[in-house]
Amino acid sequence: MCRDTENQFSAASGGCSDATIADVRGLVIRFGDFTAVDGLTFEVRRGEIFGFLGPNGAGKTTTMRAITTIQRPTSGTVLIDGHDASSDYIEARKRIGIAQQHISLDKDLTVRQNIRHRAILHKIPRSELDSRIDSAAHLLGLEDYMDRTVGSLSGGWKRRAAIVCAIVHEPELLLLDEPTAGLDTRSRHILWDLVRDLNARGTTIFLTTHYIEEAESLCDRVAIIDHGRMVAIGTVDELRDMIGGVAVDSNPDGRTETRYFRGMDDARAYASSLGDAYVSIRRTTLEDVFLELTGEGRGRFE
Amino acid sequence: MRLLSIIDEAYRVAWGDLVYIRDNIAEVLITSLVGPLLYLLAFGFGIGGSVSSDPDAYLAFIVPGIVALTTLSATFSTVAMKVLVQRLFYMSFDELLLCPVHISAIVLGKCATGIVRALLSCTLLIVVGHLISPEVSLQPLAILVVVMAALTFSLMGMLVGMFMEKSQHLNLFTSLVIIPMTFLCGTLFNVEALPSVASWVVYALPLTHVSELMRGIMLDTCIPMDSVAILAVYLAVFFAACWWMIKTNRC
Repeated sequence: MCRDTENQFSAASGGCSDATIADVRGLVIRFGDFTAVDGLTFEVRRGEIFGFLGPNGAGKTTTMRAITTIQRPTSGTVLIDGHDASSDYIEARKRIGIAQQHISLDKDLTVRQNIRHRAILHKIPRSELDSRIDSAAHLLGLEDYMDRTVGSLSGGWKRRAAIVCAIVHEPELLLLDEPTAGLDTRSRHILWDLVRDLNARGTTIFLTTHYIEEAESLCDRVAIIDHGRMVAIGTVDELRDMIGGVAVDSNPDGRTETRYFRGMDDARAYASSLGDAYVSIRRTTLEDVFLELTGEGRGRFE
Repeated sequence: MRLLSIIDEAYRVAWGDLVYIRDNIAEVLITSLVGPLLYLLAFGFGIGGSVSSDPDAYLAFIVPGIVALTTLSATFSTVAMKVLVQRLFYMSFDELLLCPVHISAIVLGKCATGIVRALLSCTLLIVVGHLISPEVSLQPLAILVVVMAALTFSLMGMLVGMFMEKSQHLNLFTSLVIIPMTFLCGTLFNVEALPSVASWVVYALPLTHVSELMRGIMLDTCIPMDSVAILAVYLAVFFAACWWMIKTNRC
């Protein structure tokens, strides 16, 4: 874990190591005078679920587009399994699957035709096409919907179909851009289970989300960015420890104020000092960390 | 080797659009053929029969012209609308850009639907034209010109589909460029009949050269090689522009 002061985070030296599937170094992306990404450096390790958080306009999608090879960096490099996403983009794309925030399926085609098209584009051998398609569809429980047109599916099933399209070529790195946006709670939990299942089968997951509890529940490590710069990166516990693992909420003058402490004793002592005021002591959440580090929090931490 | 790889990838890119054509072949043929057949009926038998001193000669004159305009009408709007819809509404165009295929393959693959439509409708029109006007000969070379013209106009459609931000803009382009081209580029009358300045403008447009080529081949007169060259230049420029737009992420 580290709090960004130099906007530099340790990464495997000399490009991707065996343990690294994506290596982002000094990534800068400018659109005219506007700097969307400002010197990001981080790595995504093989086998992990990596959360990528930030407020609206922080540069998440732009960074993701660079990782997916669509957006060329102004400077810096993105290596996917050692392949430069700009100059060696075809090799990089072979290793990537992406389910975009917007369902990007061809609505003129059936679910099966969409999946088959994606498999053909990824050059799956003809002899393996049917078995790959069936097994990916089975994994997400899509069997009964395969011959329906995409337009006739509900949001949750469309999302599953999009994920099947993203995994049919068995990518090493699966990028999920806000995969549960707009889904009801039940569908969201089903998708969480699917993400865990895919990860357990060996797929590295890169996840962006606005639902902090989603990142908290799923991710092995989380990066928080703001204004195109890295704010913090680490495991959820490491990030909590950055501001203090224990939170004390009080309600003086009708507004909530939160202070964070490293130990329970300090938290209790502070709570006692508040006298009769409404006080609650709880574990610091990733949402607290997010709000504090992106400057939107209402608390104080030492 | 690289060319074979690009052709293979272009087929992979085109697969979804070709499946749509296969599953909706009747609709594709009807939408591609009704317009040209109406032109044939209205201009060939209707107007031609009443204003020309030699109706048979006029029929033979406009059959290649209608085949030429079909290479435009069967391709441009189909490809432009498909790319625009897949880009702005389905978002599926983005998925192509994420797949491990060359940019040239994406450009050629997205044009395949236009080429197939043009081949189907133009082949039928050539056969119909031969049956109703014996002066019109069946020449395999005409199919080659159909492919070249269909690719050129499909590339133009792709370029417009990648450039436009609203479907209304596409309608505007069609009204200002495509419809005038359809009528003025030597399809239904000789370009030389136009005032000299207008004829020079029309001569600079690609459909004029498709008309000239079709007429030269189907009526067994000379094949204008300058038209081949001009069409090739248009094809190359449109291809390069499409390639550049994808390469520089401007679509």
